[in-house]
Amino acid sequence: MTTSNYTPTVQGTGVKATIQRIGGFLAGMVMPNIGAFIAWGLITALFIPTGWLPNEDFAALVGPMITLLLPVLIGYTGGRLVHGQRGAVVGAVATVGIVVGAEVPMFLGAMIIGPAAAYVVKRIDGLIQDRIRPGFEMLVDNFTAGIVGAGMALLGVWGIGPIVGRLTDIAGSGVDWLVSHHLLGLVSVIVEPAKVLFLNNAINHGVLSPLGVTEAAEAGKSILFMVETNPGPGLGLLLAYFFFGPRSLRPTAPAAMIIQFFGGIHEVYFPYVLMKPRLILAMIAGGAAGVSTFMITGAGLVATPSPGSVFAYFAVTPKGGWFGVVLGIVIAAAVTFAVAALLLGFGRKAGDEADDAAVTPEEQADREQAELAAAQRRSADNKNLAPASRGSGDDTPPQATAKES
Amino acid sequence: MTTINGSTVRKVVIACDAGMGSSAMLAGQLRRQLGKHSVAVEHTPVDAIPADADVVICHQGLAERARISAPDTIIVPIQVFIGDPAVTRVVKAVQTGGDLDG
Repeated sequence: MTTSNYTPTVQGTGVKATIQRIGGFLAGMVMPNIGAFIAWGLITALFIPTGWLPNEDFAALVGPMITLLLPVLIGYTGGRLVHGQRGAVVGAVATVGIVVGAEVPMFLGAMIIGPAAAYVVKRIDGLIQDRIRPGFEMLVDNFTAGIVGAGMALLGVWGIGPIVGRLTDIAGSGVDWLVSHHLLGLVSVIVEPAKVLFLNNAINHGVLSPLGVTEAAEAGKSILFMVETNPGPGLGLLLAYFFFGPRSLRPTAPAAMIIQFFGGIHEVYFPYVLMKPRLILAMIAGGAAGVSTFMITGAGLVATPSPGSVFAYFAVTPKGGWFGVVLGIVIAAAVTFAVAALLLGFGRKAGDEADDAAVTPEEQADREQAELAAAQRRSADNKNLAPASRGSGDDTPPQATAKES
Repeated sequence: MTTINGSTVRKVVIACDAGMGSSAMLAGQLRRQLGKHSVAVEHTPVDAIPADADVVICHQGLAERARISAPDTIIVPIQVFIGDPAVTRVVKAVQTGGDLDG
């Protein structure tokens, strides 16, 4: 087979790529700052009055970090994405304008005003760059950034801050409504399919986490951190593949489980769903079961567990919150495993039963290639692929511990 | 359609959505395999692929974005993150000096 089969061609209108890009932009403002989120989460879990080691002096860090530091970091990063270091500085200044005087942590606001302020500077830079007299570049550069930053900060205090605060309230009451009507599990119907289309970071860091932070700042914990990040469904799916999947893929499942469940890199299981799209039903069922379990037991986390590893979960589980958290992960894994096993026909679905008879590797490759081709036709893909590694025992899993918080 | 000879590859970039998760994992594996061939392996967000990349590896679900981000670079889409034959081919091309297109 030649590598030319591997040339990706852009299909359709690129709607998926566009959505991914917008979502990726939102996530791109948050994810580089996850370390700061975890620092805040650990301090919160340990030192607030209901924490593991209540301490008034240390707990004084909690408020300023969540209302000021984290939004400013997001605004800074958002500005940097739009216009480099200059954009970052102006984005940070503008973000201060919306966090001061706000009742709630202004994450969504920071995601709007940071890039917007940077964009204004970018446009102004473009307009004046050829009109500056020699020797005045630094003066003009510094003052355009200063003036735009100050102006956007004022605009934030007057206009954008109150509007975003209102929007956050509306979104928050929408979530409350779902929780009080025990319907939060329905969110999985959207979240799980979007996840495997590589919108996982966009949904979690772009939408759910900012809302979760607001809730956690008030209630000390939030279930919204757990909707997308639950490592249970992925584990259940990979277990089903290990026992009942196509034979050529079974040897890869254990390594994938370690990477997914302990390392928290959920992307590892997406291909297993994309190969057999009907398995998305198993992911939805498991996700919904997990979210419902968290909801019924009143579980919540103090900060976003990123990456979505079981270790990260335990690090941000509040005191006394173990039961619901563990139960939700276990139930999600069990439900996903059961449904996926059923959908895989317990390894005896048409096309698989011959695996038990003596078949030549070529025949098996043909069959799997047909299977893959069918899956790819479904996902409107135009590549034909050889089956994945036939137990080429060289895929040593990376040290998951390197990424633990 | 661009082609590159594996022996001239100096930088391989693994791209994923955020440039922090699955790409970091794959880059770690490839670094071990390509390090002795003096090939640099980096992991980046798919929307910020550096201009000096010779070969970009990313999941086919992100290939469209990679193409926009790096229009003239060879893009090798993969299907699975563990033991994908396309990754093996890139490694082999670098080791033995075969051609890669994409």
